[in-house]
Amino acid sequence: MAQIFPPSWNKLPVVAALAGILGLPLAVGGVWYFFSPWYTDVGYAPVQPVPYSHKLHVGELGLDCRYCHASVETSAVANVPPTRTCLNCHQTVMRDSAALAPIRESAQSGRPMRWIRVHNLPEYAYFHHSAHVTAGIGCVTCHGRIDEMDTVTQTAPLSMSWCLDCHRNPAPNRRPVSEVTNMKWTPPRDLQALSAQLARERAVNPPMDCSGCHR
Amino acid sequence: MSRDYWRSLAQIEDRPEFRAALEREFLQEGPSELPEGITRREMITLLGASLSLAGLAGCRRPVEEIVPYVTAPEQLVPGIPRQYATTMPFRRSAYGVIVESHEGRPTKVEGNPSHPSTLGASSTLVQASVLNLYDPDRSKSVTQQRAQKSWNDFVTAWGQLSQAHAADGGAGLAVLSESFSSPTLARLASGLRARYPKLQWATYDAVSDEGRLGGLRQATGRDLDLMLRFDRAAVILTLDADPLLTDPEMIRHARGFAEGRRAGASGGAMNRLYAVEAVYSLTGTMADHRLRLESRQIAPFLGALAARLGVPDAAGLGGAAVAGVDPRWIDALAKDLLANRGKGLIVAGERQPAAVHAAVCALNTFLGNTGTTVTYYETGDAALPSMSSLASLVSAMTSGTVQTLVVLGGNPVFDAPADLDFASAMAKVPHTIALGHTVDETSFRAEWHIPRAHYLESWGDARGVGGPVSVVQPLILPLFGGRTPVEVLGLMVGDKDRPGYDIVRETWNTILGESEFDTKWNRVLHDGLLAGSELPEVVPDLAAQPLAELARLIGGSSSGLEIVFVASPSLHDGRFANDGWLQELPDPLTKLTWDNPALVSPTTAEMSGLAGGDMVRLEYAGRSLELPVWVVPGMADGVVALTLGYGRQRAGRIGNGVGFDTFTVRASRAPGFDSGVSLTRLGSTYPLSATQDHGSMEGRPLVRESTLTELRSELTAPAEAAEGAEGGGGIPGPLGVYPEETPHFSLFKEQTYTQGHQWGMTIDLNTCIGCNACMTACQSENNIPVVGKDQVSRGREMHWIRLDRYFSGDPSGSPEVVFQPVPCMHCEDAPCEQVCPVAATVHDAEGLNVMVYNRCIGTRYCSNNCPYKVRRFNFFNYTNDTPDILKLAMNPDVTVRARGVMEKCTYCTQRINRVKIDAKLAGREVRDGDVKTACQQACPASAIEFGDIRNESSRVAKAKADPRNYALLDDLNTKPRTTYLAKVRNPNPDLEAAGEARPVA
Repeated sequence: MAQIFPPSWNKLPVVAALAGILGLPLAVGGVWYFFSPWYTDVGYAPVQPVPYSHKLHVGELGLDCRYCHASVETSAVANVPPTRTCLNCHQTVMRDSAALAPIRESAQSGRPMRWIRVHNLPEYAYFHHSAHVTAGIGCVTCHGRIDEMDTVTQTAPLSMSWCLDCHRNPAPNRRPVSEVTNMKWTPPRDLQALSAQLARERAVNPPMDCSGCHR
Repeated sequence: MSRDYWRSLAQIEDRPEFRAALEREFLQEGPSELPEGITRREMITLLGASLSLAGLAGCRRPVEEIVPYVTAPEQLVPGIPRQYATTMPFRRSAYGVIVESHEGRPTKVEGNPSHPSTLGASSTLVQASVLNLYDPDRSKSVTQQRAQKSWNDFVTAWGQLSQAHAADGGAGLAVLSESFSSPTLARLASGLRARYPKLQWATYDAVSDEGRLGGLRQATGRDLDLMLRFDRAAVILTLDADPLLTDPEMIRHARGFAEGRRAGASGGAMNRLYAVEAVYSLTGTMADHRLRLESRQIAPFLGALAARLGVPDAAGLGGAAVAGVDPRWIDALAKDLLANRGKGLIVAGERQPAAVHAAVCALNTFLGNTGTTVTYYETGDAALPSMSSLASLVSAMTSGTVQTLVVLGGNPVFDAPADLDFASAMAKVPHTIALGHTVDETSFRAEWHIPRAHYLESWGDARGVGGPVSVVQPLILPLFGGRTPVEVLGLMVGDKDRPGYDIVRETWNTILGESEFDTKWNRVLHDGLLAGSELPEVVPDLAAQPLAELARLIGGSSSGLEIVFVASPSLHDGRFANDGWLQELPDPLTKLTWDNPALVSPTTAEMSGLAGGDMVRLEYAGRSLELPVWVVPGMADGVVALTLGYGRQRAGRIGNGVGFDTFTVRASRAPGFDSGVSLTRLGSTYPLSATQDHGSMEGRPLVRESTLTELRSELTAPAEAAEGAEGGGGIPGPLGVYPEETPHFSLFKEQTYTQGHQWGMTIDLNTCIGCNACMTACQSENNIPVVGKDQVSRGREMHWIRLDRYFSGDPSGSPEVVFQPVPCMHCEDAPCEQVCPVAATVHDAEGLNVMVYNRCIGTRYCSNNCPYKVRRFNFFNYTNDTPDILKLAMNPDVTVRARGVMEKCTYCTQRINRVKIDAKLAGREVRDGDVKTACQQACPASAIEFGDIRNESSRVAKAKADPRNYALLDDLNTKPRTTYLAKVRNPNPDLEAAGEARPVA
């Protein structure tokens, strides 16, 4: 009768022991890290159907955020612009650019563009743009230096603990409402005086209860 | 006054199944207990499956797309819902509604505060109508002989047909419509008659008010209809009527009735309601005095009442006594009506014959009620239902004189009386054209089927009760290319395919006038109705002898079991059969879901040897039907009530084969009630899913009620009342939510809620009529799934607000009923929060008991520890296999819950947040009344108040200061934020001693 276990199986106990020694910390470490708020989508930069460059449009040409994201001050969503908004300029500027072919296609066929969402909150979290913008939270606070990005990249963790850090103490992140879309705004030297002034003008009381964001 | 309350006959008899239901968290075995008889091998299989499924859950979140508009619609801001006024036509009523639309998809229907038929409130049918729009079984194309065709094919085919019919003046052409009240439809119908003078037009409603119209014609000689003004009535008598539920004008009636109740509870005069009826109706449950009487006995009762009132020509009405009725009852009633001349109101039910309605009209006029509590107006722009027009149409169809039949909506193959055999008659017609939402029983047999547009996709118009005219404007293009009756009639009149918009505007050109038409038209569209378009009140002259027919009716005799046909409060005549929300909505009184057994009284059941769930063979007028029976306390003895609208064969995936088709035994000569029915027990039983014992709080009486006299004396002598409360019943004197010194000692650290808004709710049991509108509104607002009959029988229905129904009194007599809506109480010391191991349910600073779905791991400890049993658990992924189209009906502001997650009423936290953010953006404070919960907004009786209880001038704070205010299970010291106002009855002092007037047979 042939042997059931070939000689190579003699290594089994050693392999098993090594796997046990290495595997257990790996599993614990994996759960520790991947199940935690440290593991986030920071750096997520998907390829978009049209390589729209915020660096060019915002940083160099100086477009205001609200030209495209028009409802950011009134609605929960900032709104990704309709195809027509692109064509406002691009029916005269760069009309034949190959990169813009999908935009022209969309306008002609009436089929909408399909952009990839970068800043993606879970479905059970309800973020309200206008509530934050009108409270003096700058775009840059959550979205980073959009004006320096060729491809939009997620820079903030957008995790619950990160949200709550600011909700517990919003003052350092507040700025005059007029400066909300200013990417290059720097806080004045006397931050405390500004905070006090903003708090006088409009006291904010960000919710820290679950019901603030989860419905 | 201490009473015993009970929820079901099983409880009162303390049957073992009720004990078992009490002791178990969920009714049947399942995840809460290990199923019996599971083997070790099966256990390991289950464990292995759970493990491998758990591994899959860790995958990375999928890539999500953002799909913006190509050209943004004007005025539409993504993320901000828009509201449009439109009209939901229902029979000859019109519900003015305001519909919320999210990026172009309608999601929620609310009443239009400026429309007299809705007054800002709504009903279950109005709330559920939005689900019909997204019904996945709606037909998706025109068909000819069930083969797919296009609308243009039909237009061509009609062109050929119309030429043939034009030749002989339309002698072979027939139209069958539902009744309507619409200027455009009426204009087109008369245009069609002008074009085809020999056209045969029939109007048929399965649930019809033909009796009332006929009665008014008998009494006045004119085509009149009436409007009931409950708000002006001090004494109301309903005869086999249900104006508070199944009547199309129930919202207006409920509001008026509730005003009279509320006024009484706050020191004013309270109305008094007498109900005489065969079937326990919702109106009957609100009655201060109720008399059980067979439907056929209503005419003699009315005769006796007329004699007792002293109506001049009441002689020959059979005298002033009715067999089996305590004469003191009629005496007291007559005295009350006479004492309240001009403030009384007599209402007869739709199933009563014309003679009864004529007599009621005469009595109302005799008592001076005409012009105050009941007003009449000419029925303009209307097609009135007529059974005889259907019968003559069917005989013409059978004899072969009809060449082309156009069914303009409605489903006669399903709901026409069985003796007419509409289906066979239809088979003899060469060309049949049927307009229908689905390929229903009628469309299935028709040569041509045309998909019908939903009212939210239609242009049209409608006249409400009393005459206010409004426009039906679409919120969305027809999802499946449906057409409206206006468009089909328009094609028939002009042989030209014209859009409904043009046709309706053409009508309104004459209504509004040419000058500044667009301004006025836009105003009507914006407001939802044309201001000042009510029809003038008519004070009719009575015919010489309006009681003559009644005398003839009383003369006829009948005996034996009586069969009574009742419109379903959920499905009406079956048109809503494919609406899951309505199918799963427990019947207000029986608490049955997904079924329509024959209803009998306990005494009738005992005499026939029947128990609830027994199958019987019902034989009536040569036809028979096998169906189960259900025993309902408070039904008149000797009555078998059949609910219409169930047993559809071609309703769709939800409604097919649910319940029993009671139209199969309905006869055209007696669509309301008749004698000569027999029941034979078959020996088998049928499973029925009733929710009456679900959420039973250990059988403790949790409703409080009092009489007006008791309330008054208590208010003057509160100390005595507080003493009386020790017994457990009655009103325990002033009872704030936060008594200054709480009588209970708390083991927990007391939380204080002294900052910001503190939300709270009151529910007035005195005005709650138990109509279920709040349940459907909540379902629509909060994306609550439908679970199906089997899951309901396991106690797993998901409604966040339930309506408990308590009986008190003799089960074989006429027990009284109290309804109690129970949502989450939002206890300040919530027992659920103490036991959650993962802090998935916690309190927020504004006093809300918050449920965090993404934290919940599904231990169900919270539900176990909830004394009010208001928590609902997702045993399955109920929304997982929802067809995509139904997802359009979802509210985007509320999370859709997954399997294994607990959920419950949130006080509509999404609405609170929206109002708070809007107020912040507008730079103002939240005002009282800004936040309305879905249930509060829908309630026709305005029984629910919600708001900031810290704000002393808020309506809810004032309600909580009412001496009738009490907290449910207050002794548990949970400090609920939702409290109740005790019910107050207003019995006639002359009758209080008499009890139920009719001796039990």
